[in-house]
Amino acid sequence: MSKEPADKADPVEDVSPAQEGATAQSESSVAVAERAEPKASPEEPKRRITSLEVLCGLLVVALIGQQWLASWLDVPAIQTGSTIFVAVCVQALPFLVLGVMISGAIAAFVPARVLEKMLPKKQAFAVPVAGMAGVALPTCECAAVPVARRLMQQGVPTSVALAFLLAAPAVNPIVLVATSVAFPNSPGMVAARLAGSLATAIIMGWLWARFGKAEWIIERALRRLPEQDGRSRWRMFFETSRADLVDAGGFLVIGGFTAAVLNVAIPREWINTLGEQIILGVIVMAVLAVLLALCSEADAFVAASIAGMPLLPKLVFLVVGPAIDVKLFALQAGTFGKSFAMRFAPATFIVAVACAVISGVIFLGGVG
Amino acid sequence: MRRETQNILLVLVGGALLKISFTGTYLLYVKPAHQYWLIAGGVIMVALAAVSIGRDLVSAREPAPAAVQLNFGADSDGAAPTAKPAAHDDHDDHGDDDCEHHHSAKSAWLLLLPVLAIFLVAPPALGADSVMRGDNRAAATRSSGTDGSTTFPPIPQGDVVSLAMSDFAARAAWDSGKSLDNRTVRLTGFVVTQDGATYLARLSIACCAADAFPVKVKLDGPGTAGLANDTWLEVTGQFQPGTATKETDYVPSLTVASMVQIPQPENPYEA
Repeated sequence: MSKEPADKADPVEDVSPAQEGATAQSESSVAVAERAEPKASPEEPKRRITSLEVLCGLLVVALIGQQWLASWLDVPAIQTGSTIFVAVCVQALPFLVLGVMISGAIAAFVPARVLEKMLPKKQAFAVPVAGMAGVALPTCECAAVPVARRLMQQGVPTSVALAFLLAAPAVNPIVLVATSVAFPNSPGMVAARLAGSLATAIIMGWLWARFGKAEWIIERALRRLPEQDGRSRWRMFFETSRADLVDAGGFLVIGGFTAAVLNVAIPREWINTLGEQIILGVIVMAVLAVLLALCSEADAFVAASIAGMPLLPKLVFLVVGPAIDVKLFALQAGTFGKSFAMRFAPATFIVAVACAVISGVIFLGGVG
Repeated sequence: MRRETQNILLVLVGGALLKISFTGTYLLYVKPAHQYWLIAGGVIMVALAAVSIGRDLVSAREPAPAAVQLNFGADSDGAAPTAKPAAHDDHDDHGDDDCEHHHSAKSAWLLLLPVLAIFLVAPPALGADSVMRGDNRAAATRSSGTDGSTTFPPIPQGDVVSLAMSDFAARAAWDSGKSLDNRTVRLTGFVVTQDGATYLARLSIACCAADAFPVKVKLDGPGTAGLANDTWLEVTGQFQPGTATKETDYVPSLTVASMVQIPQPENPYEA
């Protein structure tokens, strides 16, 4: 039972020129494509170009322009950027697929009442339980977004679903093992990361329970799905998985693109010179975690390899990264709406930095 | 966006993932262990699209009242809102007028970007350009996992020992056991010329190319000048003790005995 209506044809026409620019991977084209969205479509009832025709047109144009495209990209910085862009997309897409499959399975096979029974009645207790549940589910951050949205649709309180969203990518066993491999000489790092990330998830959950407003999340994200039975469950599974994948995939691409541009644009020397002061180091590493948008399984290796940086800023990097980064922001804005993401992302950032610093002082024995 | 278009996009993206994982190009972007993830992801994407296309075909063949058509999302085949449920094959125009405008579906167009990038542009492996953006100490610390000196396990016996670049750089900088002294090693990497000096470099990745870190070794010897950036070489030579210090940013020097130009290895990165 899809609620995925076909697009109007007119806005599609609006986007198509921007899209052609975007194939050339220029930064501005993404912005243009987004700006084109809210434009109201002027009525032009008779002749319409469908998205299918636009797609074919784009492919033909791209094929014809391949030579031109390739020569235009033959600049070292742009080549580096495009490799990183493809790398981020290629690395994250399978995990996104896993996420939408889980999300589809929850929608189709887990009735809302089962979830209600599993979670403690009081939200204050359910939030930490959801955080701990994240430990058991080894998903990357891209996978957690559609799953969290599905949990909300199935009647799980928003605060609880958000705690899961923040905890799942940060504290699962794969990530913790990677962290211990990357920091063999500082065993406190694993505990510090676990505690910092879990605290971030739980505190954000509680904050949402206390201050969060349902209207910040777009209505579409929370629309309750009807209960299914028998064969229609499978139809539901395929339809929701497919729709989620199409939806989230585009935002993942935006995130990958942003990360690639920033990866090329930020000189690494900055980081090394700024690392000497502890407070500056914490701020720089927190911002860097947001901008680089690394996969939570890889970030420990990157953090470990940044020269001249004390452990505390590295811990901040590891706690902030899986909680919020440009890729996640794009996914959240797409899934839950802009007005949610604009509030949730900065709050998460501040809470994560604070939790990381406190956890670092406790587990790493000071700032060293 | 229409369902058909979404499905085609999914097939394209899934196909792109499958293509790079079977041709081996995926090694330019992610580490080898990701291959199975890529294949599984690609297959599932194509399968989701195929199921959806199959459903649409079946429901288009069965004559059904217009209202039902709308419910099952088959609105895009042009029959639903208009009063002519028989025109199932009428695939363009006046189909979706009264459907609510779906905001986020617009973003799905962006899925075309990685598809075009993979099929048409096929970005090359990271090379000299990203080395020049990086910093060497990084990789040396990564592989040793420490911030200070330590004793490394001895390197294998033999006249010429093949070593990973990151292993070589780490030993050069941090090995208090001096396992490299008086040994001839063989290193594989690409040329980076920087400030008049010639370096052999290799990038080391933990997960994907976005987290790549460079390792550099300064080449010292006749014939090393004038090599073009990104030329792949197999170099044998001897470590010059005491060259990997803080002053040189922990970049060791190698006295070159011989150099052979080679094609880019299948996996251009080190783990």
